[in-house]
Amino acid sequence: MTVPALVLVLVFNYVPILGNVVAFQDYDPYVSTNGVTAMLESPWVGLAQFERVLADPGFWHAVENTLVLFLLQLVLFFPVPIALALLVNSVLRPRVRALVQAVLYLPHFFSWVLVITVFQQILGGAGIIAQTLRQHGHEGFDLMTDPAIFKFLVTAEGVWKDAGWGVIVFLAALAAVNQDLYEAAAMDGANRWSRMWHVTLPALRPVIALLLVLRVGDALTVGFEQLLLQRDAVGPGAAEVLDTFVWWTGLRSQDFSYAAAAGLVKGVVGLVLVLSANKTAHLMGEQGVYRK
Amino acid sequence: MTRRPTSSRWAAPARPVWEEPPSRAGLAAKGLILILACLAVLFPLWIVVVTSLSSKRTITETGGLVVVPRDITFLAYQELLSGGQVTRAAVVSVLVTVTGTLFSMAVSVLCAYGLSRPGSLGHRFILLTLMATMFFGAGLIPTYLLVQTLGLTDTYLALILPSAVSVFNILVLRGFFMGVSPELVDSARIDGAGELRILWQIVMPLSRAVIAVITLFYAVGYWSAWFNASIYLSDQNMMPLQNVLIQLAQKQEIPVGLGQAVKAGNLSGLAVQMAVMVLALLPVAVLSPFVQKHFRKGMLTGAVKG
Amino acid sequence: MTPNAVSTGSRRSTPSRRGFLASTAVAAAAVAGGAPLLAACGGGADNGKKDGTTTGKDAAKLLPAFVASTVVAPDIAPKNGSAAGFTRALPSAALKASVTRKRGKGGALTIMAPFWGPPPAPDNPYYRAMNEAIGVRATWQNQDGNVYDQKLGAVLASSEIPDVVVIPGWNLGGKIPSAVDAKFEDLGPYLAGDKVKAYPNLAAIPTDAWQRSIFGGKLRGLPMPASYVTNIAPFYRKDLFDAKGWQLPGSADEFLALAKEITSAKAKVWACGDMTWTAYNMFGVLSGSDKALGWNLADGRLINRIETPEYLEALEWTRKLFDAGVVHPDEKTQNQGDTGNRFTAGQCLIYNNDLSHWYAKTSEQAAQNPGFAMAAMDIPGHAGGLPKLWATNPANIWAFVRKGSSKAVIEDALAVADFTAAPYGTKERMLTDYGVEGVHHTVENGLPVKTDKGNQEVSSSWMFVASPAPYIAHPDTPEVTRAMVEWQQRMGAVTSKSSFYGMTVTEPSRWTGLMNDFEQLEKDIVRGRKKVSDMQQAVSEWKTKGGDQLRDWYKKLLDTNGSAAG
Repeated sequence: MTVPALVLVLVFNYVPILGNVVAFQDYDPYVSTNGVTAMLESPWVGLAQFERVLADPGFWHAVENTLVLFLLQLVLFFPVPIALALLVNSVLRPRVRALVQAVLYLPHFFSWVLVITVFQQILGGAGIIAQTLRQHGHEGFDLMTDPAIFKFLVTAEGVWKDAGWGVIVFLAALAAVNQDLYEAAAMDGANRWSRMWHVTLPALRPVIALLLVLRVGDALTVGFEQLLLQRDAVGPGAAEVLDTFVWWTGLRSQDFSYAAAAGLVKGVVGLVLVLSANKTAHLMGEQGVYRK
Repeated sequence: MTRRPTSSRWAAPARPVWEEPPSRAGLAAKGLILILACLAVLFPLWIVVVTSLSSKRTITETGGLVVVPRDITFLAYQELLSGGQVTRAAVVSVLVTVTGTLFSMAVSVLCAYGLSRPGSLGHRFILLTLMATMFFGAGLIPTYLLVQTLGLTDTYLALILPSAVSVFNILVLRGFFMGVSPELVDSARIDGAGELRILWQIVMPLSRAVIAVITLFYAVGYWSAWFNASIYLSDQNMMPLQNVLIQLAQKQEIPVGLGQAVKAGNLSGLAVQMAVMVLALLPVAVLSPFVQKHFRKGMLTGAVKG
Repeated sequence: MTPNAVSTGSRRSTPSRRGFLASTAVAAAAVAGGAPLLAACGGGADNGKKDGTTTGKDAAKLLPAFVASTVVAPDIAPKNGSAAGFTRALPSAALKASVTRKRGKGGALTIMAPFWGPPPAPDNPYYRAMNEAIGVRATWQNQDGNVYDQKLGAVLASSEIPDVVVIPGWNLGGKIPSAVDAKFEDLGPYLAGDKVKAYPNLAAIPTDAWQRSIFGGKLRGLPMPASYVTNIAPFYRKDLFDAKGWQLPGSADEFLALAKEITSAKAKVWACGDMTWTAYNMFGVLSGSDKALGWNLADGRLINRIETPEYLEALEWTRKLFDAGVVHPDEKTQNQGDTGNRFTAGQCLIYNNDLSHWYAKTSEQAAQNPGFAMAAMDIPGHAGGLPKLWATNPANIWAFVRKGSSKAVIEDALAVADFTAAPYGTKERMLTDYGVEGVHHTVENGLPVKTDKGNQEVSSSWMFVASPAPYIAHPDTPEVTRAMVEWQQRMGAVTSKSSFYGMTVTEPSRWTGLMNDFEQLEKDIVRGRKKVSDMQQAVSEWKTKGGDQLRDWYKKLLDTNGSAAG
């Protein structure tokens, strides 16, 4: 049953992933008749590209920004969809619930370009709020170009755009909760909060654990497009994350070997992280991504 | 079932007898949070819609996005929908989305089910094989060369096959499939049902909510994808909707010094851009009720009992 | 956490699009190594990696002969490197034919080019008319200009390269120059010396544009010539300046003082946009639009622009503008909103951009904002008086023909180029720019006006295959045309050519990344996120990391090849 998916993954993921051998080369795709034969002709340089990556202060600076942003998002973003899902789920009127839900996930369908434009027009230095303040004799402000608060801004934009969308997985999980359990708990004298604690949350735990493990594995990815679009507004000092760093230094100047090496480093870290997170989940009695 | 039919869907269904009535403060807090959350979404949306309906003069005077509507014009939408380009691209997008989603779902559900059976052959190895692709990407050039070697460039398959499998979606599906009671599956097996039949008649009906969610994920992914089309397709007539909308949104900014006529008049580039966003939202607004009906509380209870 | 459906490929994006003309300066600087390569020696291994450039006697063997075209005398003759100006439209009966017979052999030709906005449908009446007139069957692959660098990189690595590929200078980063050498045909056998006379319109392309088209020691590019006078003009709202009685600034200090006077944040009016490019011009900083242009020989020593005191002074001054709050706040973000729109909306009264904006904004506003008037101010010298300006490149967009193409394909491509390079006042130029009369344009009061169909179908892409010597022709606004050309002539009078003017230089690959971080550092400094001393630090690191060696390398190049500027 897994064969069709496996074949697709092998062909469309693994075959091109083999292209990462250029991380061990000084690859120039244009030296030969095409990019594949060029791989055979480009000189092998061993681990030199990895040394370049790891010795690059820009790389480590980007890693630092990435991890800070990841932690912020984990604390301030990850719980929001869960809380929202519980809240929405507790609304009894079906129409109201459907309406709230539909409204909440609309922003997911805005492109990042638009989200940032809208934020700029509301919170920027010539934005609606700043201009209103100025017209009433106050000082204006500019939340969009301040490197000091940039990481919070990025997190807030993420919550605005995607928290509502994140809700729907949890709602699907909540839909699977056996209602009889609530009744039984109520009979046993459990109040609203203890029912949520003892019935609802345990039902969500496997999903939360699964998503958490995957998120941790993806810790080095924190929103490429969003950050690339705002990198100029606050400068790379605050906004350069791993993906944008690789994009600028590697792909923009067509240093494919450097980009591949940085990508491999990132992949290995991600894999280690996801395996450790999964292990931790097991220790806490959760299924995680795999086991058995 | 504890729920009783109600006359209007707007009215609150009767609270289950065992549930205590909520406190006023609790209700107020809940309502307030939800209303604030909705406003946080609706206010920017309002700005986007109003701007898409504003004339160039209004937008120029405001100097940006418009909050208070002054004059309403549908010029931006007329501009977008004239010329038949958008209509043709919409047909392409619908076909790609429907075909792609069905294909992706078939492949993913099969795979997830296969991996959800305890002790299935090499499932841990397969899981790792799949998961590794979430962490190791391939560069554009190798991917392009592959798609080209397979003869998929300038075909719609290039928009479907390379992105057909999302490992994330398979993992979520698998997580839910594993929650299906093993007793049910075992008893079906004892009754002589094959794996496909178990999947089709027992596991899938019990997992309607997650199937709806993942279908939505795939569909939204296909619907909003544009990069693959811009790289793998050369024929303008084949472009899907997103690409055409992106192009149209840029139209107002074409450099004009090269004999390209200036598109003067009453139409603002900003309005066109916003209209593009509104158009992109429409199918979502239309489709969401269909997905949401699968989220009804306790939906599975009845099915399991039945 | 976003449940992410389908592949990550669909989420890829690019930074904001750059309008192509406006950005020659920015974009070329943004892309790391604007410089293609080549070897001083003629023949030899085509695929061999070579760096350097080709000038002097070696170049003379490659360059096409120049035969001026005298179809219609311009209303304003070019002077000091300016474009020629044409202020009148010619009635169709008076148009001359510059191509006397159908040059094409009727062969099929695929042409890939970047396109911004909705491209015309593939087989439309305009394309058919062009194909018919030229005698080819050209099929356009108009690619999304925003992701053109990525598409180009992939296509050049594949074995299916279109017959003709258009590459703008700002896409010549990284390894693309080596790809140009490896993948594209030497056109020398068809164009060098007197051979070009078979294509009279190509023969009329100025020699320095051809010089820029030598890649890897061979004449590979068909150029789109440009004026070498700086293309960055500081525009101001003439209507508002006149109403308020503001005087144009004559120095850097006056500029700052005026900017403070203009700014009224409460009324949502700021003096200017990001004026960094103009600051470079005011302070006489060597051009940053191309790496080789940034070097100049002074007192026997090559100096790079980043080492000059003028460079730091220009940054410091621009930083003062940002500091003083006279720059529109959204400019800090660089990609939010369009400065030109803020200018027409009266939110910012001075901005700098490509000279072509003068005409574009004027005609755009004519319909809806009759009081609108703009002009380009003469760039003031920073300390008063005249500025010292540096020349930019005389060509920065090329079309190339795939290596291994048959003679017939190459000749068809040259037939297209000869047609699209037809000068103003010819039937060919008219068809290329305005399409078919009655279908794509009508003539009103003696002026050609595009129809809706014309706006949809007539695309500027054809000009990428080759264009005539620089000209400005806007018969609908003769006074703007005149003003643009005269601005170029005044600025051209104080423009000098730096040591590597007009050369396409390819740096050795180990140094191509050296300058990568400077553009970003400039932005950080003027926006107050980094200090001027950080730049001094970066410059001294640049020297030790290879800048000094690069200087020696360029010096040697200069000693062997001589300066093209003469």
